[in-house]
Amino acid sequence: MEYVSPEGLRLDGRRPKEVRQLKCELAVLHRADGSAYLEMGNTKVLATVYGPHEVSQRSQSLHDRALVHCEYSMATFSTGERRRRPKGDRRSVELSLVIRQSMEAAILTHLLPRTQIDIYVQVLQADGGTRAACINAATLALADAGVPMRDLVASCAAGYLNGTPLLDLNYVEDSAGGPDLTVALLPKAEKVTLLQMDSKLPLDTFEAVLGLAMDGCKAIAAHMRQALLEHTRKQAVVRGPVRL
Amino acid sequence: MPGLSAAELSFLEGGIAQDLRNDGRGREDFRSFSIQLDVISQASGSARVRLGATDILASIKAELGSPPAEFPHLGRLELAVEISPTAGPEFEGRGGEELSAELGKALERSFAGGANGTGAAVDLAALSVVEGKTCWVLYADVLVLNADGNILDASAIGIKAALSNTRIPKVEVLAGEGDEEGELELNDDPDECARVSTAAVPLIVTLTKVGRHYIADATGDEEAQMSSALSVAVNEKGQLCGVTKRGSAGIDPSVISDMLSVARRIGKRLLAKVDAEISLAESRLESET
Repeated sequence: MEYVSPEGLRLDGRRPKEVRQLKCELAVLHRADGSAYLEMGNTKVLATVYGPHEVSQRSQSLHDRALVHCEYSMATFSTGERRRRPKGDRRSVELSLVIRQSMEAAILTHLLPRTQIDIYVQVLQADGGTRAACINAATLALADAGVPMRDLVASCAAGYLNGTPLLDLNYVEDSAGGPDLTVALLPKAEKVTLLQMDSKLPLDTFEAVLGLAMDGCKAIAAHMRQALLEHTRKQAVVRGPVRL
Repeated sequence: MPGLSAAELSFLEGGIAQDLRNDGRGREDFRSFSIQLDVISQASGSARVRLGATDILASIKAELGSPPAEFPHLGRLELAVEISPTAGPEFEGRGGEELSAELGKALERSFAGGANGTGAAVDLAALSVVEGKTCWVLYADVLVLNADGNILDASAIGIKAALSNTRIPKVEVLAGEGDEEGELELNDDPDECARVSTAAVPLIVTLTKVGRHYIADATGDEEAQMSSALSVAVNEKGQLCGVTKRGSAGIDPSVISDMLSVARRIGKRLLAKVDAEISLAESRLESET
């Protein structure tokens, strides 16, 4: 199957180095301390953050830093075919762990000892790149909750099909069987907090694909920062001028 | 929900007794709600409903399946509720299971009708494709994103809205040769789709008993105070389509019949309001595309 046309266009009309359309909304849910809704093309995820609050199981409390807890869930209607997903299957446990680890790299946990931060990510619609979308949504939700962070973590996937490195794969490209590389990045420090690749790839091509994914992360990070600034500005207007 | 202090509780109860609740509503008033249609493109129909701070997503997925063995000429309607952990830390892991089972059963009671398809919210016979072999199965899934009381009524509104948004592809049965079975051909033209009639779809009105009075559309704080509740499904004709008593305290039979007639009255008003909101959401959707 042809994933890149001779004119250099992909199945959904993008060029190889284009990410899908991003849409971020902040503070979307009422009860959570922080929440964010993120669309990457047709992939739609919702993330909420509760905390920092008292550790619910006291034996898990950490005396020198915050306990970060993450749960990933997928709606029954999120995929093409309806599937009832049992809680805590292997895929979601692994994803919860991956999201938690890349968030822990960004959160200044040492400032919040003996507390717990809950991150819940809910996939509403899956069209490839859910891993990356979940991490991006979780970052925005943490920022909305005002949790201190080193930087915004941004994540993006890249692949290699028809001899071309492709940025931000959708579901059809993802299931083509080619390599799929997901990267999460702290863009300011240029530190990779997550790196996963399925399938195989020659070393020199790997570097090109990794470089592309990192560029994608930076572009997404810039967009998210913009969305956060706009949201903050809007809130500032609603609250009126600050008098000192 | 964080616990309320004794003073807050008595304030809440006192307000209800005087027909003036904490948010300014009377005992029989619903919170304002909004409906957004076609939010999940992979579903056959979907709706997001915000009832006060309660926020739910309802999706209808039509899939080809096999009809019930005893009634080969019918299709199926399957209902389920899931509480997302985004609604609160108490719903993480298996925390939401009990509530989602309770709500799912209550929805089934009100929408699925009897085993032979009478009293169902949608015309199940219209979902049949090949009698005894293939039929459409409508999976109605509700996902609760934020819980601030009265999830059941919001879910019913969501399902009604999602059903009105549902498009089922037309199926042609190609004649098989000899003993071979005919093949099915799906028409994937988006303009050539069957719609689901939602005229008979009921809505649910939950009356929550707090102290000596009962209130409609309780918030999370008010629900924390409830002794018992009665969920009544009412359709366009004012018929009762299902009743569920919830909570642990008993209700006097004379109060129950009183509550039923009040629920019927509120239900009629709510149906008109929901229909208006759905057509508003439809016109909004049309102007977008």
